[in-house]
Amino acid sequence: MQPVISLKNIRVAQGENFSLSVDSLALQPQRIYALTGPNGSGKSTLLRVMALLISPQEGSIEFAGSDSNHLARQRQRVTLVEQSPYLFKGSVADNLNYGLKLRGIDSKERNSRIQSTLTIVGLERFEQRQAKELSSGEVQRVALARALVLKPELLLLDEPTANIDSNSMQAYEALLSGLSEYGVTVVFSTHDPSQSRRLGEEVLRIENGHLINGSRRELEESALNERNRVYGA
Amino acid sequence: MGYWGDSLLTAFELILGFDREVRMAVWTSVYTSSCSIVIAALFGVPFGLWLGLKRFRGRQLLIALLNTLMAMPTVVVGLLLFGLLSRQGPLGPLGLLFTPLAMIAGQTVLATPIVANLVLAAVTGADRRIINTALTLGASRLQAAIQLLREIRFGVMAAVIAGFGRVIAEVGVAMMLGGNIRNSTRTMTTAIALETSKGEFAFGLALGIILLSVALIVNLFLNVLQQR
Repeated sequence: MQPVISLKNIRVAQGENFSLSVDSLALQPQRIYALTGPNGSGKSTLLRVMALLISPQEGSIEFAGSDSNHLARQRQRVTLVEQSPYLFKGSVADNLNYGLKLRGIDSKERNSRIQSTLTIVGLERFEQRQAKELSSGEVQRVALARALVLKPELLLLDEPTANIDSNSMQAYEALLSGLSEYGVTVVFSTHDPSQSRRLGEEVLRIENGHLINGSRRELEESALNERNRVYGA
Repeated sequence: MGYWGDSLLTAFELILGFDREVRMAVWTSVYTSSCSIVIAALFGVPFGLWLGLKRFRGRQLLIALLNTLMAMPTVVVGLLLFGLLSRQGPLGPLGLLFTPLAMIAGQTVLATPIVANLVLAAVTGADRRIINTALTLGASRLQAAIQLLREIRFGVMAAVIAGFGRVIAEVGVAMMLGGNIRNSTRTMTTAIALETSKGEFAFGLALGIILLSVALIVNLFLNVLQQR
């Protein structure tokens, strides 16, 4: 099957000391990838490179069947939800409408998509709620809905459960595990080896800016060893 | 009733009686200030946005220059434009000196740095995630910048209102480029200066009360916007 996105020989230099190096990475459609690695290892940078927010100094990024070099058009195939997502001022519907309007989708289609997506994330009847009135868990789910409503081919989530309480986390994980049913490829970064085991159909591991090659078991062991090193066994 | 009491009474009679001279001065002030602030916003808002978002060599120098222009005395702006628009100046043949157009040009020069500077401050203070959020949802760089403007719209409106407050209350540009011509370029501020020097204190007071009311309304607006 043709990969959703392929990265080849990517090199990113940020400042003097840090760089991201990915020799080869190809993400298969409708899979859930857990991206693990220590703090500052380059997880967020890799997600930003895939979201086309950072241009690598070297290498190539290709989307399946892409015949356009137009950056904004390419960017419409992938969506990144940040660790602390920003919701635009206004209502939940305003936030979900933003990307749909950019894509020129008519209002009837927009409304139908918004309602069905809010149902998926468990926020029915939240359309008219103001963004500033939401809890941090609700903000995460609205940000996810705002990304999902666009039906991206690739959905990138930067530590999506880092800032939410345990109850919200369970609901969010349940939601995350079912996302591939909607035809989307998901990459989520996490520090938690058990979360990567629970949710990740595939595991990606990054250390010191380098994407590590290895079997799933080796990568999971590496993540577990790192956790034990940091927090004690 | 005494000097102040009599003058105040006459001033209110002039205001409430819609005195023609008072009306004309108020109209000229509002008209020229409104035109100049619209033009200043057209230049100042995109410039402040651009300066807030771009990082380039010489940016700090440009910001320092903008700050200097913001504090430039109105008579200096008037003087420089007078040199351009006077008969001997390069734009003299246009015949703009002592017309409302010349005043609008001068007030635009005065207001643009204020609007740009305050928009720059609003952009600098805005949440850094706004642009990236818009980009990740499929916006182009320009669309993301427009979204940022939407998010800081109250700051932008405050910048425009502050610019309006500055130009409607200024006297240097209006005097030097307008010439204080009755029923044409006489504004509230130039009329106050002239009429008071002629001994028409009550007339000056009437315009002063209106000017203060405008300043009060502008500041109330600013306060409301700054609390958003």
